[in-house]
Amino acid sequence: MAQGQHHIIPTRTLAAVFGLLLFLTVVTVITARIDLGVINIPLALAIAGSKAILVAWIFMALKYDNKVNLLVLALGFVFAVVFLALTLADTELRGNIGITEPGTTELTVEPVESE
Amino acid sequence: MSSTGTTLKHYFVNHEQQFDAAKLGMWLFLVTEILLFSGMFVAYAVYRSWHPEVFTYASELLDWRLGALNTVVLLASSFTVALSIHFVQKGENDKVVVLLLLTLACAAIFMVVKYIEYEGKFSHGVFPGAGFEPHGIVDGKDYSKYDIPFAPQFFSIYFVMTGIHGIHVLVGMGLFGWLITRVARGHFSPQWYTPVELTGLYWHLVDIIWIFLFPLLYLI
Amino acid sequence: MREGSHNYLSARKGLWSWLATTDHKRIGILYAIACGTFFLLGGILATFVRTELGTPGETILDQDGYNQIFTLHGVVMVFLVIIPAIPGILGNFVLPIQIGAKDVAFPRLNLASWYLFMAGALMAVFGWLFVGKVDTGWTFYTPYSSGASNAVLWLTSAVFVAGFASIFTGLNFIVTVHKMRAPGMTWNRLPLFVWAIYATGIVQVLATPVIGITMVLLFLEKLMQIGIFDPALGGDPVLFQHFFWFYSHPAVYIMILPAMGIISDLMGTFSRQQVSGYTFIALSSVAIAFLGFLVWGHHMFVAGQSALSSIIFSMLTFLIGIPTGIKVFNWVATMYKGSVWLRTPMIYALMFLFLFTIGGLTGIMVGVLAVDVHLHDTYFIVAHFHYVMMGGALIGLIGGLHYWWPKMTGRMYNETAGVIAAVLVFIGFNLTFLPQFILGSRGMPRRYHDYTELLPSFPEFAPLNMASTIGSYILGVGLLMILVYALYSLFKGPKAPANPWGACTLEWTHTGPLPDEHNFHETPLVTRGPYDFHLADDVFGPKEEN
Repeated sequence: MAQGQHHIIPTRTLAAVFGLLLFLTVVTVITARIDLGVINIPLALAIAGSKAILVAWIFMALKYDNKVNLLVLALGFVFAVVFLALTLADTELRGNIGITEPGTTELTVEPVESE
Repeated sequence: MSSTGTTLKHYFVNHEQQFDAAKLGMWLFLVTEILLFSGMFVAYAVYRSWHPEVFTYASELLDWRLGALNTVVLLASSFTVALSIHFVQKGENDKVVVLLLLTLACAAIFMVVKYIEYEGKFSHGVFPGAGFEPHGIVDGKDYSKYDIPFAPQFFSIYFVMTGIHGIHVLVGMGLFGWLITRVARGHFSPQWYTPVELTGLYWHLVDIIWIFLFPLLYLI
Repeated sequence: MREGSHNYLSARKGLWSWLATTDHKRIGILYAIACGTFFLLGGILATFVRTELGTPGETILDQDGYNQIFTLHGVVMVFLVIIPAIPGILGNFVLPIQIGAKDVAFPRLNLASWYLFMAGALMAVFGWLFVGKVDTGWTFYTPYSSGASNAVLWLTSAVFVAGFASIFTGLNFIVTVHKMRAPGMTWNRLPLFVWAIYATGIVQVLATPVIGITMVLLFLEKLMQIGIFDPALGGDPVLFQHFFWFYSHPAVYIMILPAMGIISDLMGTFSRQQVSGYTFIALSSVAIAFLGFLVWGHHMFVAGQSALSSIIFSMLTFLIGIPTGIKVFNWVATMYKGSVWLRTPMIYALMFLFLFTIGGLTGIMVGVLAVDVHLHDTYFIVAHFHYVMMGGALIGLIGGLHYWWPKMTGRMYNETAGVIAAVLVFIGFNLTFLPQFILGSRGMPRRYHDYTELLPSFPEFAPLNMASTIGSYILGVGLLMILVYALYSLFKGPKAPANPWGACTLEWTHTGPLPDEHNFHETPLVTRGPYDFHLADDVFGPKEEN
């Protein structure tokens, strides 16, 4: 029957992905314990993102699947990012209405410390 | 129930349509899970960017070794689930049972570690919200020194995120228990294994959420 | 050939056959009963609010009572009526038949959605009756809500649970449209109502989980003081507004998109003409669904969010006008050179066009930063969103109910009564809400139970409020009249033919007066678009003049 035609992912592929995931976990632990300054956070997120993509692409079989499912996942991710980005557009610049050039307005407002 | 699995529902034309519909439905559900967790990630991002030094400092109280252990455990469980789908597609149901039992065991280990972590925090007054009153010394760390402004926010977010994630792990354990009995009774075949596939997808997503939680809460 | 005995109503009998049904049509009827009841409740609450404001001073409610009543009115109307009504009632009943499916993709999940919805409603009612009254407004803004009565816990839980009903409904429809279409039912042959419900489903799936987590966090804030939203604990109340509106603004499109879909179908059928700009209307629904996620901050221009985000949100808000304008112009163009047939559903469609355009354009006005500072939290806003929510979403629903009533009940309603009620609704609605635009622009604040102190400076507030209250009574009479003739039709109405409107979509052309239990005797083969009226007269005979 139809379902018998589904792609069967070879065990070797799965094992390789698992190995890669473990390797990336080690990498993220090691790099996080070294002070790399501003790179620490983006690096940790990049490694986590790579791991997530590996899981979704192979373990969740998106590579072999109907691409509508990939689109659905991408939409969810995009709108989570929209939520994050537009909220940060507020919280990062809260109280800062000095986006005009100095001297173009009488108004001078110090950035308010959020609490 | 026949060995070829469940009968075709009358409103579907064929098994392929039924399987694809179920799978698309599951993916849409997973997206709702992503958006549900996105709220907590947003809260994390906002407070972290407002108080980066507090978050870095407070995260010292979380034991990265336990977090890493749980990461490995969950990754292993994702691997076993992926393998179980491989073998259910080949009709080797004995192996499927073993692999799902291993998955269940991994999930249980995860929850035990989580319990140890929570217990360690609660016993030293690290509660979410109003009960936050850290005290005592563990591993040379004086908890009372962590009673600073906005540390409660870090731990609130930690407990809410890992708590809701933990609930998802528990739900997954229930699903695996149910699946194991069904595999053992021969309900699934290469022709029909939809519940295994869908539960697998769910479990991988729970894993993905943790993949992000681990560095955000424990490492950076 | 398809006489009475085998239709979906007569196939099974007894209360249990309804409560345990997985038939999408019966679930649609269940939603109709539930939402109808809540609409009646919300409407009664609205007349309380208007009666209080009709004359200066304390009329029938003190200030606490007034706050509680408008809160309940808002919660009931938003979460229990407008959000679930069109997808729940008409989406369920019509969508699977329109695409030639025997049912939705997950019928049991569909029934579970209804039970979740009812559970949410019961939690709200229980909390209200036995725990305490909530007076936070339907928006639950912190820190007031996190410090208010414990009944807030019940209400937020109710919203959380009802939210899942909405998620599962949307999910079900998306999968149904993707996977269950009949042979030949290509994407560009989908009726525009289906496109609209599909776009709505996207919003439901993507937005509703966020209100879920928002309610969880608010719940924990109140229960354990987790300090995320409460400024006294170091939290940020504006963050709550971000969370709330990330759902609740897209939720506006959950409400209005399905109504737009109904209007598209009505315009085609009653102009007996191919809907103008089919592709543009279809895709503008999807565009609205996505753009709707990018504008939530326009609720927060005066809440203290950053200036930059106010500017961004204001600009994005204007963009929404584009797909909406595409729809309005195409509806008007559909009537051009058509043979417009002014039956009750079409009267509501025209009413929608008029009222929604006012609601939409005032929406652009309040999206302007400087204007919003003046109008925020005034009656102008109240008038604006009632023109959209009631004049748009609910008028669309009422038009759709009139349109599909013969298919749902197998009976016709009295056309004359329908027209009279529609006229009453139109007059009543405008008399209620037009004065509120004036009131708001003069500075009358919303959510106040009294305006006596404002009268010396603004003597016009008294007659305008009185006019608004009288209008609300006329509106109420019109709506009650609909209820009366609908009930009469249910028992005594003449039997409806299979296709009383001469429509071209599958629910009219391929089912009997009442659809079969599994919709069709055999799966239809679709060979033409949904609005091919030049063929309809040849194939199905001319429309019936009754």
